[in-house]
Amino acid sequence: MKKIFFICATIAVIMSTYSCTKLNVPVESQYVKSNFPVTDADYTALLGTIYSNLSSSYAVPYWRMQDMSTDEAILPARDGNFDDGGQYRQLHYHTWTFDHPNVIGVWQWGFGGINTCNRIITVINASSSTAAKKASSVAEVRAMRALYLYFMMDLYGNVPIITDFPVTTQPANQPRAKVYEFIESELKSVLPLLPAKSSNAATNVGQYGRPTKGMVFALLAKMYLNSGVYTGTTRYQETVTMCDSVQANTNYFLDAKYRDIFLPTNGPAINETIFAVPYDQQIPGNQFTRFGFFYYLAQAYGFNVGLSIAMSTTPEFYNRFNIPGDDRSKTWLAGPQFYPDGNGGFTNQPVYYPAPNAAKQINIIPTLTLTGLKPMDLGNDVVTSQSEGVRSIKYYPDVNIIQATRLNSNDVPVFRLADIYLMKAEAILRGAAPTTINGDAQTPLTLVNKLRTRAHADAATSIDLDALLDERARELSWEAWRRNDLIRYGLFEKEYPLPVAGGKTDDLKMNTDPTRRIYPIPSTELKTNPNLKQNPGY
Amino acid sequence: MLMFAASSMAFAQQRTIKGTVTDESNLPLPGVVVTVKSSGKATSTNANGGYQVMVSGAGDVIKFTFLGSVPKEVTVGEKNSVNVTLVTDTKQLKDVVVIGYGTSSRKDVTGAITSVKAEDFNAGVLTTPAELLQGKVAGLNITKSGDPNKQPATILRGPSTFREGAAQQPFYVIDGVPGASIDLLAPADIESIDVLKDASSTAIYGSRASNGVIIVTTRKAKTGQTRLTYSGYGAVENVSKNIDVLSADELRKYLSDNGVAPLSKPTDDDGSNTNWQKLAEKTSYSQNHNLSYGGAGTNSEYGASVNYLKNNGILKNTSLERTIYKGYINQRFFNDRLKLSINLTNSATKNNDIYQSQVLSGILFYLPTVSPFNPDGTYKENYTRTGSGPLNPLSLIDNNFIRTENNKTLINGSAQVDILKGLKFTLTGSTQKEQNNVNIYSTSQSGIFVNANGVASRSAYTNTSNVVEAYFNYDRLFGRHSLKLLGGYSYQQDRNNDGFGVQTQNFSNDALTYNYLPFSNPTQLSQIIFNPNYAINSNTPAITYISTLRLISFYARAQYQFSDKYLLQASLREDGSSAFGLNTRHGYFPAVSAGWKIISEDFMKSIPVISDLKLRAGYGVSGNSLGFDAFTARLIYGVPPGGGKFLSNGNIVNPIGPVRNDNPDLKWESTGTTNIGLDFGILNNRITGSVDYYVKKTSDLIATYPVSSTLYFYPFYTANVGKIKNNGIEVVINAIPVKSQSFTWRTSFNVSHNKNVVESLSNSRFTLPFIQTAQLGGKGQSGNYSQIIQPGYAIGTFDLWHYMGKNANGVSTYQKADGSVIATQPLTSDQFIKYDAQPKLVYGWSNSFFYKNFDLNFLVRGVYGNKILNATLASLNNPADARLQNIPRFTLGESFKDINAYLISDRFLESGSYLRLDNATLGYTVKPHIQAIKSLRFYASGNNIFIITKYRGVDPEVNIGGLTPGIDNRDFYPKTRTFSLGITAQF
Repeated sequence: MKKIFFICATIAVIMSTYSCTKLNVPVESQYVKSNFPVTDADYTALLGTIYSNLSSSYAVPYWRMQDMSTDEAILPARDGNFDDGGQYRQLHYHTWTFDHPNVIGVWQWGFGGINTCNRIITVINASSSTAAKKASSVAEVRAMRALYLYFMMDLYGNVPIITDFPVTTQPANQPRAKVYEFIESELKSVLPLLPAKSSNAATNVGQYGRPTKGMVFALLAKMYLNSGVYTGTTRYQETVTMCDSVQANTNYFLDAKYRDIFLPTNGPAINETIFAVPYDQQIPGNQFTRFGFFYYLAQAYGFNVGLSIAMSTTPEFYNRFNIPGDDRSKTWLAGPQFYPDGNGGFTNQPVYYPAPNAAKQINIIPTLTLTGLKPMDLGNDVVTSQSEGVRSIKYYPDVNIIQATRLNSNDVPVFRLADIYLMKAEAILRGAAPTTINGDAQTPLTLVNKLRTRAHADAATSIDLDALLDERARELSWEAWRRNDLIRYGLFEKEYPLPVAGGKTDDLKMNTDPTRRIYPIPSTELKTNPNLKQNPGY
Repeated sequence: MLMFAASSMAFAQQRTIKGTVTDESNLPLPGVVVTVKSSGKATSTNANGGYQVMVSGAGDVIKFTFLGSVPKEVTVGEKNSVNVTLVTDTKQLKDVVVIGYGTSSRKDVTGAITSVKAEDFNAGVLTTPAELLQGKVAGLNITKSGDPNKQPATILRGPSTFREGAAQQPFYVIDGVPGASIDLLAPADIESIDVLKDASSTAIYGSRASNGVIIVTTRKAKTGQTRLTYSGYGAVENVSKNIDVLSADELRKYLSDNGVAPLSKPTDDDGSNTNWQKLAEKTSYSQNHNLSYGGAGTNSEYGASVNYLKNNGILKNTSLERTIYKGYINQRFFNDRLKLSINLTNSATKNNDIYQSQVLSGILFYLPTVSPFNPDGTYKENYTRTGSGPLNPLSLIDNNFIRTENNKTLINGSAQVDILKGLKFTLTGSTQKEQNNVNIYSTSQSGIFVNANGVASRSAYTNTSNVVEAYFNYDRLFGRHSLKLLGGYSYQQDRNNDGFGVQTQNFSNDALTYNYLPFSNPTQLSQIIFNPNYAINSNTPAITYISTLRLISFYARAQYQFSDKYLLQASLREDGSSAFGLNTRHGYFPAVSAGWKIISEDFMKSIPVISDLKLRAGYGVSGNSLGFDAFTARLIYGVPPGGGKFLSNGNIVNPIGPVRNDNPDLKWESTGTTNIGLDFGILNNRITGSVDYYVKKTSDLIATYPVSSTLYFYPFYTANVGKIKNNGIEVVINAIPVKSQSFTWRTSFNVSHNKNVVESLSNSRFTLPFIQTAQLGGKGQSGNYSQIIQPGYAIGTFDLWHYMGKNANGVSTYQKADGSVIATQPLTSDQFIKYDAQPKLVYGWSNSFFYKNFDLNFLVRGVYGNKILNATLASLNNPADARLQNIPRFTLGESFKDINAYLISDRFLESGSYLRLDNATLGYTVKPHIQAIKSLRFYASGNNIFIITKYRGVDPEVNIGGLTPGIDNRDFYPKTRTFSLGITAQF
C-alpha cells in the first residue's frame, strides 16, 4: 500500500514539476519574430507586402474613383444588372457619399500601404544589415510611402501624415498643402539613394515595379503641374525641370508600337514605362477584360469566360479619337465587329451574336440611351441595350483568363514618358519657358507630335490648352489620370447628359458642387478616429 | 399428538416458493435481498435473478429489497412461484449528480446543476447531445437549424462574450475527459447529462467554464448483470415549410401587369415552369441502429457498443453517415484498491454536401421561367444575367460536390488507487485524434468553374488532443462533520490543422473526380492552389496553419457538511494558457458556495406538507479562453490581407508581412456569477422544483474590433475591453399529478428569463463608443452593419434604417438622421437603434404518461418576446429586379417601380415568439417473459409537429445565440418535419 502511495506521489510530483508546467508552444507553420525576417529573401518578401497591396486595388477600385467619375468611363446598369447598389451611378453623377464602397476601401488600401511602409522601416532599422543596404531599402520604402500618400492626397485632399508605426494617438488630418509639402520633401530626400534606369536589361528587370529616380521625377512633375489645385500656387517651370530630369536619362524612349505598352506580355522591356503596377494571373487586381470588354466577342479573341456586360466609355469621350490614322483609336471597339488579326488590326471575318441572333454581326453602338425606367439603366436586350457603349481593348484581353478569377496579366502604367511629354507641353502652354534637353529644343507642338508620329496619326499643326487636354485623352485614356486632368482644367463638373428613350431627359443630374473635387473621409474612419474632420461639403 | 398435529399443520403450510426477480427492462436482477417476513430469514437472488425461500402460509409476506430500486412486498397467497419486477427508484437514482472530478448527491449540491436522465431525452433523428436537451434545461437556450449537418447553437444564461463559435459553447466533459468531442457519442449510449450552470459549480473547470459545463456520462452495466440491447429507428423527413416564391406564370403575369417587356427568349424564358425548390429537395429516409452489450462482475466491468446512423438530407446529394464503435473494460485489483480502466471510442463520419449557400439562394432566386436543361441535355446557364441567383441551381447540385470523411478516435485510460481510508488518487490520460479528409470536385459542366474541365481539391488534416489529469480525493466523516477534499493537476495540449491540401484542374473527363490528381493538366501555376479553403463556397486559398494550444492547471476543492444541515464548498483553480499574452498567461478562478437544508431542521417537522427545502447561494469566477486562434496574442507573419503575390526581379513571389497586431497583455475573459437558489418539494415530493436567481458579470471581454487603418497596420486588434452583465431567473416545476397502479402522469415545466446588457466597451487603453456587427450584405449594402454593441443595450440590438412607408409612386421611403424622409438609399449614419434579439422568456414543458404498457411523451417549447430581422425577406423583396430573379408572393403587393424595397430596414423586424410541439412519442412495451427476449419497446415519434408563430420567414427558430442573434439572413434551409418508428429490445 505504501508502495502504491509512493508511486502515485512520485508520479504526481513529476507531472506537476517537470516540462508539464511550461506554456511555450511552438508556432510551426507561420513565421514569427524569431525566424523572420532573416535572409535577404525574407526582406524582399517583407517589402513585397508594399507591392502586393499596391496591385490589389490600383486597377479596379482606385481606377474607378479616378476614371469612372469622369467622361472617360461609365458602368451603366442593364435592367438592374450591374446596378450594384448604385455605386457606379454615384461615381458618374458625383453623388457618392462617405459610405461608397470605393471611398471606404481605397482609403483602407492607401493608409494600409502607408502603415505597411512605416512598419517595414522600423523592421529594417532594427535589422543587422549593413548601413548602406539599410539606407537604400529605407529609401525605397519611403518613396513608396510618398506615392501612396500622393494617391490619398489627390483623392481625399486633407489626409493625415503618418510616419511612424505604431503611433500612440489617432492622427488628425492635415491641410492638403501641408501633405503636398511633406510628399515633396520626402521625394527630394530619398532621390539620391534610389537607382536610375540603365541600359542593362537585367538591371531594369530588377528595378521594374519599384521606385527609381525616374519615378520620383515623374511624381514631382505631376505634383508641380497640379500645384495650383493642391496648394493654390502654380509651379509650371519646376514641372518642366522635372520632365527634363526624366528625359535626361536616355534609357527612357518611346516604344515603336503604342499597342505594345499595354499587352498582357508587357513588362520591363517597355522602354517608356517609368513606373507600372505589375499584374499577372498570380498577381490579382487587373480586371479590365472582365469589366470593359464585350462578352460576346470573347471566343473571337481566343478565350471562353463569362464577362460583365457593363463598362464602356462615353460617346463624348470616344468622339475625341478623331485623328486620321491614329493607332490609339484602335484601342476602342465600336461599330461592326470582326475577328482580330492578332497584330492590333482586324480580319474581314465578322463576329456574330449567339443564337437567337446568330444571323446578326455584332455591332457596338457608341451612344448610351437610358430606358428611363431605372436609374442609369440601358436595358438588357442583347442587340440593342447590351451592345451600347464603346468597349476597350487597350489592356488587350489575356487569353489565360479563367472564370474563377477573371484576371488580366497586363501591367498598368502609372507614369510613362508620353505623360512626361504632355505634362511638359502643358506646363509650357501655361506659361513655363520651353527648354532644350539632350539637344532637342522641345515645344508643346514638337512634344505632342512625337506621340502623334509614334501612333501614326496625322501631325498637329498647332496646339493650345484645350487641344492638349484632348491629346491627353487620346494618349492616356483609361490610365487613371482623367479626374486629375479635368480638375486642373476646371472641367470636372462638365456634364454630358445621357439621352433617355422617347426623348425624355434623365431625372438624375450631376452634383456640380466643386467640393466633389475631393472625396469625403470615409464613414468607417470617422467612427474609429475621432480626430478626423470631414472634408467641406460632405 | 396435538402438539404434533399443530406442528404438522404448521409444517403442512410451510412450502417452497420459487421465483425470478427482474428489473423494468425484464433483465434478471442478481443480489436482490429476499426476506421472509414471518421467519425473518433472508436470501439473495442468483445470477439469473432466481431465488427460493420457505414461507409459512398464504398470509406470509416476502420482501424484496435492492439498492437503487423501490422495495416491494408480496403476500404469497396460494402461489408456489412469485415473479417480481423491481422498479428503479428514480428519486434515488437522480440523486447522484456529477460535479466535476467527483460526484455528489443531489441533496448536497450547493450550485445550480440540472441533471437529465436518458428517459427524459428528446426523441427523433438527433445527432448531437445538445438536441437531446433542447427545452429540458432552464437557462440553456438551444437553437438548431433545419440543416442536419449543422451543430445547434447553445447559449447558457445569456451571451457573455463578443466572440463566436466555441467561445459561446458550453464546455463538454465526457466520462471525465475534458474537452472531448461530442461527435464521439451516439445518443443511445448516453446515460445522463449534467449541466453545471453557475460559476460556483463550474469554476473547478476554470478558464473554459464560462458558458457552463455539460458533463456526459455513458451507459455502463449494473453489477452482476450481463446485458444485450438493440435499439433502432427509421425516420422519414419532409420539408414542412418553404418560402413561397412565384411560379413561372405568376412571374410572367406580374411583369406584364406592370407593363414591363417580357423576359428575353429563350435565355430568360423558354416557356418552362420550373419549381427549383422541388428540384433540389427530396424526402429523406434515415436510420439508426445501436447494439450494445456489457457485463459487470465482482472485479471487472466491460462493455461495447456499435452505432450506425444514416441521415439522408432533404436536399439532393446531401447525407450524413456515422459509425461509432465503443468499448471499455474496468478491472479491480488488490481487494479493489486499484482500479484500472480503458475506454476506446471510434467515430467515423462521412458527409456528402453541396455548395449550400449558392444552392439555397439559387432555388429561391433563380427564374422559374427557365428549364434546368438545354435541348441537348446540357445544363442551361446565362452567365450574363446577374442578380442573387445567377447560376442554375440544379447544375450547382449535380456538378459540384463535397465529400468529407472525419474519423475520430478517443483512447482514455485511468487508474484509481485507494491509498488510505477515504484517500483516493486518480490518474487519467486521454488521446483524441481526429482525421479530416475533405474532397471537393466540380465537373466540367460546373457553372462555378466554367471551362476548367474539372476542378479537384483534396485536403487531409489531423487534430490531436492530449489530456492528463491527476487528482486526489479525500472523503471523511467525523461524527456530524463530513469533509470532502480534492486537489489535482491537469495538462491539455491541442494541436490542430496538421496537414495539407491541394487544388488542381483540367482533366480528360470527369470519371475519376478527385481521386487521381496527377491526371490533371493545369496550364498555369495559378491553377494549382496549396491548402485550398475547404470551407464551402470559397475559391480563395485557405490560411490553414498548425495551431497548438496548451493549458496547464492546478485545482483544489473542499466540501464541508455539518449535521446534514449546513453545506459549504470552496474551490480554486489556477490555469495557465499558451493562448494569452506573455504577461498574462495565468489566471485564478475561485468559487465559494453554501447550502442550508432547511428540511432537516426540527421546526420543519411541524409542516409536513413540505417534504424538501434547501437554500443555496454561491459566487464564483470562471474564465473563457475558447474559440480563438491559439496564437492570437502574438505577432505572426503571413500572407497579408488582400493576399496576392508580387513581382520581384522578374519572379512572382509571395509577400510576407505581419497579419496580426500583437498584444502581450491579452488575458482571460472572466465571469463572476452570483447564484441564489431554492429547491423545494411538497406533498411527499409529488411536486418538486427549484428557483434560481443569478447575476453573471463578465469583464475583460476579448474583442477583435476594427481599428482605424490610419493608426494600425492591420485594421483589427484583439484586446480585452468591455463588460457584459446577464441576470435572470430560472424556475423549474416537476409534478406527478396522477400516480396509480395503471396510470401515471409526470410533467415538468421550466422557464427562464435573462436580461443581457453590455456595460462597457472600454478599458484604460481603448475607448470604444460601440462595435458594429452583423454585416448582412445585400444589394448595395455590402459594407453596412445591422446590429450594434453599445453600452446600455443588449447584445443583438438592431441598428437599422427606419422605413417610412411608400410615397405616391409606390417607392419605399426612409427617414434620415435629421428627420427628413427620402425615397433613395439612406446613409449608414441614418440608422436608428430599435429593439433587440434577446428573448424575454425561454420555456419548455415536457410530459410523460404511462398507462399499462403504453407510454406517451411530448415536449412543447418556445421563446417569447424577441425580435427577428427577416433579412431573407428583404433581399427577396426586390420587385425592380424581377426580370433577373424570382420574387416571393409577398412582393406582389409592391410596386414594380420600388427600387428601394429590398433595403434592410426595420420594416423587416418581426416578432420571433413561437410555441412549438417539438416532439411527441408513443411507446408500447412488451415483456414476453421468455428466455430469449426480456423486453421489447416499440415507439412512434414525430418532430416539429406544429408551430404557432406570427413570423413570416421559414421558421422563427433562428440562431438566438451568438454575437449576431435573431437574424434570418438568407437562412433558407427548409424546415422539416420528421416521423420515425423505433424499437428497443433487451435480451
